[in-house]
Parts: sequence; C-alpha cells; structure tokens
Amino acid sequence: MTTQLTSAPPTAEAPRKARRRPEDSYAAHGTRPGFLWALPATLFFTLFAIAPLIMVAVLSFMSWDGLGSPEFVGTDNWKRILDDPVMIRSIWLTLLLTALGVVLQTPLSIVIGVWAAGHQRNRAVLSAIYFIPLLLSATAVSVLWRALLDPNFGIPARMTWLFGDGNLFGEQASAIGVLAFVSTWQYTPFHTLIYQGAARAIPPVLYQAAEIDGAGRFRQFFHITLPQLRNSIVTSMILMIVGGLTTFETVLILTQGGPGTDTTISAYYMYQKAFKGFDFGAGSAIALCLVIAATVVSLIVVRVSGYDKMRSDMEGVS
Amino acid sequence: MRRRPNYLAGAGSIVWLVVVGLPLYVMLAATLRTREDYAGKGPVSFPDHFTLDNYTGAFDSGFGRYFLNTIIVTVCVVGVVLLLVPPLAYAIVRSRSRIASQIFRLFLLGLAIPAQAVIVPMFYLISEAGLYDNLLGVILPTAAFCLPMSALILSGAMRDISPELFEAMTMDGASPRRMFFQLVVPLSRGGLSTIVVFSALQAWNGFLFPLVLTQSEETKVITLGLYNFQTAHGIDIPGLLGAVTLSMVPVLLVYLFARRALVQGLMGMGGK
Amino acid sequence: MTMRTRMPRLVAGGATLALAASLAACGSGSGGSSNDGKIHVLVYGDSANKVEKQIVDTFNKTSKVKAVLDTIPGADYQQKLQTIISTPQAPDIFFNWGGGSIKPFVKAGLLMPLDDFVKKDPNLDDKFLPTVYNSAVVDGKPYGIPMRGTQPVLLFSNKDVLAKAGVKQPQTWDQLLDAVRKLKDAGVTPIALGGGDQWPTLMWFEYLYDRVAGPGLFQKALGGDKDAWASADSKKALGMIKELVDAGAFGKNYDSVKYTNGSSPALVAQGKAGFELMGSWYYSQQQTDAKDFAAKGLGYAAFPTVPGGKGDPSNVVGNTNNFYSVLKKTKHPEAVAEFLKLMYSDEFVKAQLSIGNLPTTTTTSQFVDQSASPEYSRFQYDLVAKAKSFQLSWDQAYPQTASTPMHQAVQQFLNGQLDEDGFIKAMQALPNE
Repeated sequence: MTTQLTSAPPTAEAPRKARRRPEDSYAAHGTRPGFLWALPATLFFTLFAIAPLIMVAVLSFMSWDGLGSPEFVGTDNWKRILDDPVMIRSIWLTLLLTALGVVLQTPLSIVIGVWAAGHQRNRAVLSAIYFIPLLLSATAVSVLWRALLDPNFGIPARMTWLFGDGNLFGEQASAIGVLAFVSTWQYTPFHTLIYQGAARAIPPVLYQAAEIDGAGRFRQFFHITLPQLRNSIVTSMILMIVGGLTTFETVLILTQGGPGTDTTISAYYMYQKAFKGFDFGAGSAIALCLVIAATVVSLIVVRVSGYDKMRSDMEGVS
Repeated sequence: MRRRPNYLAGAGSIVWLVVVGLPLYVMLAATLRTREDYAGKGPVSFPDHFTLDNYTGAFDSGFGRYFLNTIIVTVCVVGVVLLLVPPLAYAIVRSRSRIASQIFRLFLLGLAIPAQAVIVPMFYLISEAGLYDNLLGVILPTAAFCLPMSALILSGAMRDISPELFEAMTMDGASPRRMFFQLVVPLSRGGLSTIVVFSALQAWNGFLFPLVLTQSEETKVITLGLYNFQTAHGIDIPGLLGAVTLSMVPVLLVYLFARRALVQGLMGMGGK
Repeated sequence: MTMRTRMPRLVAGGATLALAASLAACGSGSGGSSNDGKIHVLVYGDSANKVEKQIVDTFNKTSKVKAVLDTIPGADYQQKLQTIISTPQAPDIFFNWGGGSIKPFVKAGLLMPLDDFVKKDPNLDDKFLPTVYNSAVVDGKPYGIPMRGTQPVLLFSNKDVLAKAGVKQPQTWDQLLDAVRKLKDAGVTPIALGGGDQWPTLMWFEYLYDRVAGPGLFQKALGGDKDAWASADSKKALGMIKELVDAGAFGKNYDSVKYTNGSSPALVAQGKAGFELMGSWYYSQQQTDAKDFAAKGLGYAAFPTVPGGKGDPSNVVGNTNNFYSVLKKTKHPEAVAEFLKLMYSDEFVKAQLSIGNLPTTTTTSQFVDQSASPEYSRFQYDLVAKAKSFQLSWDQAYPQTASTPMHQAVQQFLNGQLDEDGFIKAMQALPNE
C-alpha cells in the first residue's frame, strides 16, 4: 500500500478504483477528528485572505484615491480597464512571461535535477553551488542582474559580439528575455531540488531492468525517468505558474514596466494604478482579474493533475 | 552504476556552473571593493582596492536592526503556521465531515490568491486593527498566505501514514487528539520540516507586505533595507551588494548546518 | 502511557505560551501614533536627515511640546505618504516637493493654510526667495515653508573630454548641436542619459519647453488648457528634442542606462560621455563615486539659450525646494509654528550648507562661503536668485497620479515609440486635478 502511494501518481482511474474498499467497518464513531480541528486555520485564513479579497471585489466598483471616502461608481472601473489597451496587453504579457518561465525552467530543472540525483561526489559539490541563488531574495537577485547587464559596464560591454550595443532594456523583446532569464536563474535551483528528490525516489530496479534490455541512456531517460517524474512535474508547474502570474519585484526593479509599457505585466500594472496613480478602484479591478486568471489556470492544472481527487482517493485508502 | 562517463552532462554542468557562479562572483567581488573602484571599472572586473567598508557600512546603516526584525518575523510566522496547519491538515485528511472537504477546496483556491491582489484592503485592515508599522501587522498576513501551500504539503505527508496504524490506535480506543499527538505529528515530521522551510523562506524573503504595512526604521526588515538602498537619486552598488551578501549569511548558515533537513524540506515540496 | 500522553500536551501548551509571548514581544516596540502629546515630523529618509535631527533637537531644548522625527526612506515616500495621510498614523508636519505633490491633500481639505502663521510672523514669508516660496502656494494660499535646499537642473560636463574634442561649454542651442557632432566624431557618447529611470529624460523636455515657449505654456497646460500641448511652440520644442536624438546625442542604448545605479554618472566621470543634464545633487554624487574627477574635471553650467525662444535665458527648472506642510488636524499649532520658524534660522542655513544643500533663505548668501563647496554653491545660488522663473519639475508640478504616464510618454517619444501626435495626446490625457 505504502509503496504504491509514494511511487505511483494517484491520477489514473483504474488503480484508484481498485484500491477503494467498502466503507470502513473499523472506523468507529469518535475516532476521527471533526471539522473543528480545521477551524482556527480557516478563520485565520478567512480573516486575512478571503475577507480582503471580498473587499477588493467591492472596491472594484468604487472610486477612491485613498484620501476621501470611497464612492460607488458601478461598473465604471471595469469599463475603463477593459477599454485600456495597456491592461489588455498586460494580461498577455503576464501569460507570455509565465509560459516562458515554464518552458525554460521545466526542461532545465528536470535535466539538472536528474543529473544531480546521481551520487557522485562532484555532483554533490556542484549541486550545492547550484543551490545558492535560492538563498537570495527576488529583490537581491534583480538588483544584482541590473548591475550585471548594464550596457556600458556590465557583461554586454564585454561581449558586444553577442549583445550589440547592449540596449537590453530598451527593446521589448530583449527586456522580456531578460525578465524570463532572471526568473529562470533564480527559480531553476528550486525546481531542480524537487526533481532531484523525485529522481532519487525512482526504484533502481527499473533502471537495472532497462540495462539488461540494453536500453541506452536516452531511452532510459525518456521511458523511465520522465514518466516516473510525472507527479513532480505537475507540482513544479503549478508552483511556476502561480509564481509567474504574481511576478512583481523582478519587474519593479529590473524594467519598471518599460521601455514605455512594454513589460508592464498585470501585477505591476495593478501596483502602479493603486499605489502610484492612487486609483484604488481600477487597481482593485485589475487585482480581481489577476485572481480570476490565477484561479482558472490553477483549476485547470488541478483538474488535469488530479489534485482535487486526492481527497476521495484518501477516503479509499483509509 | 553508469557504464561510461557522461561527457554531455559534464559539459552542461560546467556551463550552468558559469551561469550560476559568475553573478555570485561579481557580487562577492563587488562587496570587497570601494565604490570608486566599482564605478570606475564596472562589475565584471577584478577589484583593485580591497575594503570591508561595505559590510561595516551596512551595519552602520541599521542592518543589525533589520536582521533582528526579520528573525522575529520569520520565527513568529513559522510559529503561527506550525500552530494552525497540523490540525488543519489532520482534519482535511481524517475528518469525514463535509465541511472539512469544503475547507480543503477553499485552501486549494487560496493557492491562487496573489498577495498583491489583496494588498489594498490589507492595508486598511491592518491599519484599522492598529497594527500598521508594527511587526505583528506583517506577521499575520504573511502567515495567512503561507497556509494554503503548507496545508497542501502537510496533508500530502499525512496521507502517507499507513492506515493500519490508525486502525491499530482505533482498536486501542484512542481519541482523535491522542492519535494526532502520538501518531500523526511524529509520523509527518518530513512534511512538518517542509512547511517550516517553506514558511521561513516566505517570511525571510517577504517584500510586499513589509513594503506596504511598515514604514519606520524600527520595523524595517532586510528586504526593505535592500530596496531602500536605492533612493531616488543614486545608489551605492557595492554597499547594496554587501548588504545582500549579509542577508544571505543566516540562510547560508542554516544551509550549511542543517543542509539535509533544508534540502529535504524543499524536496518535500515536490510532493509525493 | 499517561506520561506519554501528557508530554505532547505539555509541549504543545508550552509552544503556545512561547508563541503568545513572542507575538506579544513583536507587538511592542512600534512607532507612530500622533495622540501622544508630541508633534510628529515626517521626512524623506536619506543622508540629509542628520540636519533634520539636529533641528528637532534644537527645537526640543526650548519647547514644551516635543517634536519627533519620523522618516520614510527610499523612493516610495510619496506613495507611503498618501496612504497614511488620512489615517490616524498621519504626521503633524511633513516633507514634500510643493506643487502637485500637495495639491490633492489641499483639495481633500487635509492641510492647514499657513497665512495665519505668516500674519503673526511675516518672516515666514519674507525670509525666503519668492520664486521658490511660490511653488508651495495653492489657490493663492501658502501651504509650505521651504526646508532643505534648492536643486536646479544644470548641464554638467567632463572638461577633458570636451577639450579633446575641441568643444567649449555650449552657450546656445546651436553650439550644443555642434558639440554633439564633434563629440560623436571623437568617439564618445555626446550626452549621457539615464533613460531607464525615465525622469532624467523629462529634464530635457522641461528645459526646452521653457526656453522655446517660456514658463507660460506649461502653466496653461497644468491649469487645464489641453491645447497648449498642441501649440506651435510645443511642436517646435518637440522638434528640437527629436533633432538632438537623431543627431545621436544620447547614443543608442540610453534606455538601458540608469542614473540610479551610478551608470550614467560613471560614463561622464570616465570620459565615455561629454555631458549630462542632471539636478544639482550630481556634484555630490560624483564626489562620492569619482573624487578626482569631481575635483578636477567636472564642469557645470546653465542650460544653453535658444535664440528666438520666448523663455528668459535666466530661467531654471528643477526641484525648487522641499517644503514642510502642516496637517489641519494637528493638536499643537503653536508648537508647529515655532518649529517652522527654525527653517530660516542661521543654524539651519549653516547646517544645510555644510552637507552640500543650498537653502533658499534670503540669508543664504551671507553664509554661502561656509558651504562644503563654496564655488559651486555660489554659482547655484546666483543662478536661482537671478532666475525670472523657477519651473518646478513637471512630475512634481502635476499631481502624483500623472507621473507614471508622463514618464512613459517622454521615454516613448525619445525612443520613437510615440510620434509627435502620440506624445501630445499622451500629455493631454494627464490628470491635472
């Protein structure tokens, strides 16, 4: 039972049904915790996350600059932001950056993670170094890369064959590239660890069998390693997507949404509207769009991955 | 185990080492040089004039205080998470109540709430509660936003506890509370260390809540200290990077001394 | 068994207690409430705070009502201020830039007009340079008393680079264009520009509009006359900016260069660029980053004149000054009035000069030789004192809400993302209330 749980992803339909047992006869009344156990955390979360979220929804129908008292303006803010080309574009930019993050980081961290899962000494040393960016906050990472990518004094000045005149922050494409690269630099170590852990948990028997069958390194990777990592890939992708949708400091420090509004992603645009423009109504409307987008995306991933089935799955187990 | 050395992987690992290592070298080099030397020769060069002023300067500008604040915030956030999440996860995994499953849904959806989205009302909530510019005002929302992920991780870990054990304790006539303390908590240590690491990192690197919910020197945390090195009209990069390096030290120490726990904690986030 | 069951509970109880205690510890030791019988003075936190501390100490020696100095460091002072100013955390006196930075607060009825104070003590008006004092006058009433110093924008240069290229400090627009050509031929970036920060770009617009059209055009636009942006003078100024960009004055990668990470000043200090247009704080920035250069090679001058332009050649733009404004709801107006009087005291003027700031009291000229860099201070003081008009930076003159779109518009015009019409439309769309 236990091995089945830890190694096989609880996604496929068939094994789950097979595991399901008739309603437990031994689960006598009083041996299971009531929902009261969940209450403190739920109240806390409701107060500090759900309640503010509801307030955001209300604020999105109001006009407020933080000074007077808020006034009800109906769907005014919504009309404004849905007509705002910068807003529409910010959503696309957010999705683009998120997708770029997933596309860049997933293969990279799988490869490095699987590589680091080997028990060779040099791999242990190198993966210890690879780990370091994880210790830096997003603020620190952004400041560091801003200095490194300075066109006159940083890396571009030394590698003009690659960077030309080094105007990385002056063009939309390269500015987006920088943002995607810096996020990759910062977060790949984290996802690498996830894969390293998962790769180590793959039973060696599988590889031994494959070797006997004469499967090469690549075939082993694609036929054993990748399928075994499926569950970790889903988890890591959810984290990447949620992280990507809420990227903020990186843009604030690296590009400030520029050039012009070319890298103004939704989270940053919301911050700009609310805390620089003091248009809390429009800011709240954007925030709500962001929540809706993130919810839809996570719902899709959760549905696809079977995260939400975990409960019923567990029911079967106990 | 492997038949021949993997040259491709070897080359790739070196390339990645450069990508990761170069910026780290630049950072360390910059912290050991004067502002004049840095401005004069650029970040990628080798420093001429070694100095420790950037480190002492960071402490002079109040970094000691920021450290203390960040540690207080981190410890308290971890404390709140440890107090709230284990019973929550226990109920999610073991309770038969329909409400408990609705609660799990709520937290799953909570994963998708970005902190930025609620920052405006959060400011007024905290302000009304009289907690503005107070570390408690940072701790509570930070902890709240750690809950969904922590609940997910810990309930995952608790699911791995073999049902036979529950069965055995049930036979013993154990109450849910006794099962919780004697069975669930000891056996989900892995998951617990994961949520400790997760929430500690969240608190340590937290930026937005402190940015909006505090203002004075007395309540400043490290990330804000870093951000504020950048004033409107100029920036002292070596000083800033010195501060960045210092801000890494505690995490680095934890990493060195508790590497296994930390790494395993992070690996645990991959879920089973 | 009983032992074992009790243990975890004890541990849990202990943990709860410890947590409660630590939370309580977190709870104490916070700042900022204005009902404590003191006056709270909120200022922009930076290295100049030591003078503000000194003044507060001086004040506290004699005053019954004590003053407390609070700071909000970093670039987000204005944002923070607006979020707290209508809450109980609001200060009694706060630092600002005059103009649009306080207008919304005046409109919301939060600020105290200072005319009563001035009636009781006319020095609160007479002791300051009028061009400066006026930028904190809203709807005919004074709302701010100057503090700290004035920060005019000047054209800085690297003297060696100029000499090598055979260029003199340009007095007119044509000389500047000529200098740009020569510097470009000499293989350096003619003018360093921290375009990544956006606000340095704005300075070029501020000066050219003033030189071409005089200060009136901007005042009209600020007053709500959107047509001002579409006027012939406006288009002429834009044409001149385009001319400068097209001549390659700023090089090609200016949008990736920042002033705030020390990159554009380093270009000038190291002889990779000839000029940089920047606020007067540039001098002390160079003193920290490139001491030798600041002492020997750093040139500074007023912005070139534009022949045939309507603006007076003596006009300057920049941060006219910082101001202290007072909240209406302060409980200690008398103490506040006494505190503000210190802003024209000799002690204040001397202390500001000693850290390189240039206060704009009428007494400054007596003490200017005691400044950290007397020659430079004298130059600035004369420039500001003689100026017919001192245009407050556009992003400060407009309300804070306008600054982001304004910065984006100037950046996009400079790099060609917006054409003339696009820029005019963007400026017309700025909120001016």
